Amino acid sequence: MMDDLDDLLAGASRALVQPSAALMARVLADAADLQARPVGVAAVVPRAGWLAGLAALFGGAGSLVGVGSAAVVGLFFGFVQPDGLGAVSDMWAVGSVDQVDLMPQLDVLWAEE
Amino acid sequence: MPRDTLADLADEALVVLYAHGDPDAARLLAGRLLPRVLGYAGRMLADRAEAEDVAQEAMLRLWKVAPEWRQGEAKVSTWIYRVVANLCTDRLRARRRRRAEALDDVAEPADGAASVVAGMIEADRMAALDQALAALPERQREAVVLRHIEGFSNPEIAEILQIGVEAVESLTARGKRALAALLSGQRAALGYEEAE
Repeated sequence: MMDDLDDLLAGASRALVQPSAALMARVLADAADLQARPVGVAAVVPRAGWLAGLAALFGGAGSLVGVGSAAVVGLFFGFVQPDGLGAVSDMWAVGSVDQVDLMPQLDVLWAEE
Repeated sequence: MPRDTLADLADEALVVLYAHGDPDAARLLAGRLLPRVLGYAGRMLADRAEAEDVAQEAMLRLWKVAPEWRQGEAKVSTWIYRVVANLCTDRLRARRRRRAEALDDVAEPADGAASVVAGMIEADRMAALDQALAALPERQREAVVLRHIEGFSNPEIAEILQIGVEAVESLTARGKRALAALLSGQRAALGYEEAE
């Protein structure tokens, strides 16, 4: 029986199963679909720098320019002290301005020792 | 690359060419591999429609893995047979589960040989062989088909089934003995003359 079985198995080995045209078409369609996709190529997005991050924190580059300009003008007024600046300050202030020392002066601390 | 030149290339080289966009590589690979994996799946599942699904899925996995394929690490044939073996195992398990749920109280036939004999009344030799194969335990069937029909060596079968070579030898020997027993006494029906 073993010889007959070997013969039978050899016959099965020679008999190739032919795939249907529809199956072959499906397989080749899968192949074409996957081959059409780009492999390993991703769009390179440049990383945002720290300045861009800072600008975003302040609501964009435009806002950062405004804040920066105001700071520079304030610094300018602080150094130059134009004549009319006191009048403008008085106009904004309502009533008299009192000064209160919340922190003791350094020389007072030394005198107490 | 010209199609004649492609035809001389090994499967592994064709997979790499496919990954690089060669339009003919897929056609050649499918022409070589699809009949083989379809035949193997058909013998494992004994169902043409399911075998076609498995064969298509196995080829799809080959197309997907192609960009990462490294020549020299594995043979395409053993890789794809392993995929088919796993897919068939999953389907056979699901089939057994469904059958157990549907026929919970119905006893299984005690002996597969009876259906083999019945099938041989009108079946040709190949159909009789397929029926006898279907009556074998799954692992024995896989080993016998891979060794004696698909023509793989024992180390290759060990790689496909992910078991040791000794286990393959044992499965093949037991499977072949069981197959002979299933078909014994049917020599005339198989087209062989009875021994004097």
